[in-house]
Amino acid sequence: MVVTVIKGENKKKLDINGNKTVKDLLELLDVPSETVVVKKNDFIVIDEEQVQDGDTLEIIQVIYGG
Amino acid sequence: MNVCSKCGNPHVIIKKKSSGQILCRECFIETTESKVLHDIRKYKLVEKGDKVLLGLSGGKDSVMLLEILNSLKERHVIDLVAVTIDEGISGYREDGVRIAKLNTEKLGVKHRIVSFKDYFGFTLDDVMKKTSDQPHSRHPCTYCGVFRRWFLNRVAKEEGATKIATGHNLNDETESILMNYLEGNIQNLTRIGPKSESRNERFTVKIKPLREIPEKEIGLYVVAKGLEVHFAGCPYAGESFRAEIGSFINDLTAKHPTIMYSTLRGFDKMKPVLKKEFAEESHTGICENCGEPASGRLCKACSFVERWDEDKV
Ligand SMILES: [Zn+2]
Ligand SMILES: [Zn+2]
Repeated sequence: MVVTVIKGENKKKLDINGNKTVKDLLELLDVPSETVVVKKNDFIVIDEEQVQDGDTLEIIQVIYGG
Repeated sequence: MNVCSKCGNPHVIIKKKSSGQILCRECFIETTESKVLHDIRKYKLVEKGDKVLLGLSGGKDSVMLLEILNSLKERHVIDLVAVTIDEGISGYREDGVRIAKLNTEKLGVKHRIVSFKDYFGFTLDDVMKKTSDQPHSRHPCTYCGVFRRWFLNRVAKEEGATKIATGHNLNDETESILMNYLEGNIQNLTRIGPKSESRNERFTVKIKPLREIPEKEIGLYVVAKGLEVHFAGCPYAGESFRAEIGSFINDLTAKHPTIMYSTLRGFDKMKPVLKKEFAEESHTGICENCGEPASGRLCKACSFVERWDEDKV
């Protein structure tokens, strides 16, 4: 399935397979989940939310190290 | 199926590992705001008629605090003025200043912008460029901290403020407790708390209403509320002992979700004893240059400036 991922100025389409949650996706992208808030199709979701084909995920970094 | 613990709404935005609570957007905002207002009452952080000066960087913590203090202003409990301190960090501070301005204008809160350049004649960038090769050069965070404290006290006096509010959160506070404990700075430990208790009248009382809110929840709050916030890291931050402790606490929290709360609770219980045994009233004199509290002839800010003048910085 294909999902659109927006992070800051970057927007890309990602081809992923199988059943994935937001948490899986963040791990795939190497983004620590405790530093971000994720919106799926404009609504804030929790880590265990399922990702579906055609979803748009916006990753908002809210915590900056140091 | 996850539904909101309060209202049953299936659109949940947080599952708190520390308490098991699951909340929808509306209930999360509601719960978080009442928690902060509850803490303000519990620790008597403000009294009716207080004029509160808020240190507003434009970052998530201070923008959230602006929202909450403004609700007290609208209920005529307090008067509120915000100050943004422009250290002169090029490529970073401009956005913070712009966003701070936007938020205060939206709410109709008086906003002052004060800069290192206007008061002292240099920016933090100038200082770092010119002193970094000097033997007694310090970490930029040290300068920044000293001058920021100086500005908050100074502007509080200029505005006739009775309290200074800052956006320190649960992570900041837990970091401070651990850092000072591990470094053996017992003097500093006696000064950690929701409210400063200096007997020196030249210091305006400082309050930290967000002290029991985890940083992640503040991030979630500002996004949930759709607030305009400056999300960015300071270019001068980076390797510091505080950052090391911060990531240590995050690692612990992943496995032990209540660890920050228990650290804070335990510390707050010990604090009266620590204070009794170790607290000293420092800063008894006043700075002969600027009139702010000082332990010697000059306050810390003015002694940095004097040294840079001698070094022809
Ligand atoms: Zn709800
Ligand atoms: Zn001085």
